[in-house]
Amino acid sequence: MLPLIQISDLDIHRGNRLIISEMNFELFEGEVVALVGSNGCGKTTLLESSAGMHAISSGLISWRNEGFEMKLVRDSEGRRGSLPPMGLTLQKNGMSGEETIEERLTTVLAVSGCHYDSTKVSQLLNYWGLEHRKSDRISQLSGGLARRLAVLSGLAPAVMSEKPRAILLDEPSEGLDESARELLVDWLRALASKGHGVILATHDPQIMLAADRIMEFDEKRGVSVKKQKHPLSNFDLPKPSGNAKISKISSLFHWAYRMEKRNPIDTISRFIPSILALLLIHTLINEDEISVAGPDFVAAMILLPSFISVVIPPALISRYAEENCGRWWGAVIGPKFRTFSSIIGSSIILPLPLIYISWLVITDFGVQREDLGAVSSWLWLPGIVMFSVAIAASALHLLVSDLRRVGASAASLLLLVLVWPFLELVDALVMIMNDGMSFGFSLDEPLSMIFLSFSVSILVWAISVYLPDS
Amino acid sequence: MFMVSMKHYGWALTCIGGAGVLLTAVMGYTYAPMVQSPPFRSPEAYRILFWHVPFAWTSFIAFCLLFIGAITWFLKREEWGWVLFCTGADLGLLFGLGVVISGPIWGSAEWGVPWDWGDLRLNTFGLLTAVTLFIVLSRRSQPDGIDTRDTLSTIGLFGFALVPITAIATSVYQKRHPSVVIAQSDETGLDPKMLEVLMIGIFSFWILMVGLSILTFLAYKLESELNNLLQLLDDEVVH
Repeated sequence: MLPLIQISDLDIHRGNRLIISEMNFELFEGEVVALVGSNGCGKTTLLESSAGMHAISSGLISWRNEGFEMKLVRDSEGRRGSLPPMGLTLQKNGMSGEETIEERLTTVLAVSGCHYDSTKVSQLLNYWGLEHRKSDRISQLSGGLARRLAVLSGLAPAVMSEKPRAILLDEPSEGLDESARELLVDWLRALASKGHGVILATHDPQIMLAADRIMEFDEKRGVSVKKQKHPLSNFDLPKPSGNAKISKISSLFHWAYRMEKRNPIDTISRFIPSILALLLIHTLINEDEISVAGPDFVAAMILLPSFISVVIPPALISRYAEENCGRWWGAVIGPKFRTFSSIIGSSIILPLPLIYISWLVITDFGVQREDLGAVSSWLWLPGIVMFSVAIAASALHLLVSDLRRVGASAASLLLLVLVWPFLELVDALVMIMNDGMSFGFSLDEPLSMIFLSFSVSILVWAISVYLPDS
Repeated sequence: MFMVSMKHYGWALTCIGGAGVLLTAVMGYTYAPMVQSPPFRSPEAYRILFWHVPFAWTSFIAFCLLFIGAITWFLKREEWGWVLFCTGADLGLLFGLGVVISGPIWGSAEWGVPWDWGDLRLNTFGLLTAVTLFIVLSRRSQPDGIDTRDTLSTIGLFGFALVPITAIATSVYQKRHPSVVIAQSDETGLDPKMLEVLMIGIFSFWILMVGLSILTFLAYKLESELNNLLQLLDDEVVH
């Protein structure tokens, strides 16, 4: 029988200290493995590495997929693959406070390919005493109730699946009351009896008793293993609901859209500085100065508010930072997480309307000329290209957000490179304003400058997305 | 013992280099001849050349150290690669800032504008200095770990990957907006006295850089050893 998870010759460093050395480990169907040991011994590192969340110094990690083949998840050469459907509860809850309880559970079931309906979701929530709060936001829950939801979210993908799945739980009983701990033990044994495999890191003796295998990490003696026998559980778990299409990427899009719709901090934090810049231009620069400054200045002023809106850090990054929410999504989505996040996190709506608003404000200064009427019909073109600048900026912010203390790094220093796409768009707009739109590809044609601006942005995006995962 | 003697060499070279750098400034004011106006718009300001050019050449070497360190860590995860990366970043920032501060001062006096978006060298140095500033600030603010090192070395490589992109974007921009010219003159080459001062400056900056590299490298080695000892102490206390 193939294991659910296989770890071979794993070495992991923290700084220059070797945390895990030459670890070989397999998780089989129907077993609960408890990782125990003192703080800093490497329990969480091993558990998270199993989900491909850490760079490894040597070795490889593979998971069995639903077609019963072992697939690489991560190796020391930088190769990565996405995880098959699984359950994951991190030490922090990995949930955004904006989500409702019901949304959280449906998202978890959608990304793990479980069929669900509202009755099933209510039934699951009811087991954990959360059904009456299902429409509330997670931020309104107490710490203990939020932990119940996080643990349920880790267990639900296996409970709802007929096929054996792996579950990873990091200190699941932390913050749970006595009744919830007992429920957790019952669910763990019942899931093992149904053939699912569980790895959990814990300090809780009650949870350790539920394990078939206890791996104790000790600095001096290494890893020692103790086995325990358990009878088959007859605890009554909710019935599996069957499989549905796995929708990881669309779930991420929907999740990000819902969060922004509920609390539009991204739109507001981009819109306000842009509009302020525009109003300041309107207030401080008079008609005479605009006329004297010439078309370069006018074009730059038209595009500047839009440019400001795209380089502002995406709210998605602060949402990801909340309770390690981004790490949970990163583990679930796998290697394509950065690519899609850079698109989702970028400013899609604002650049184009901002360009038109700026145009209306600036032309009000008296730069109206009869031949400028045609310009407004081509303003959408730099607006569209500004979207490529937006995804490049978003990718740069994401690159910086890989650092553990995101707020302690000045991402704006890396955004300097986006000055050139902006300058080239300004040039293109100047050409359109001076000579009208033309469709040639020489350097004196607006299309070539627009194409160059687009290419530079896309190159910056590609480097920032693919280099870190290479 | 090796560390102690290296420390002495480091200090000695830093002092010699520092003295040479000061000597260059003094010679630039007293020994080097004045240039003509025209073609120079602001002849007094040209003396900044004696620091600006050595700053640029030395920062280029520091950026190379950073690049070698980044690629060594990125591919092999060698500890010396990381130490080289940190050393290159610190010195790249120091000398890069010298370039991007002295350049605009000279540019303002000579061209009337502090920055030229069509000047490839200026833009490349500006960009690489910004990347090293980011790396130095982040390295100091982030907890050390394999993930942090991976991300920062990636950003180091990212900075270098941007150089060709900047080159293309800048050269196209320059074709539309011809770059400002320092001075138009039929004369070619530098006055021999100017060349002497400039060469003293360049060698002094190089010696200073070698001295600072040794000291910075040793400081990072000591920091690494101290961290190891702290971790051993943690293990003693916790386990």
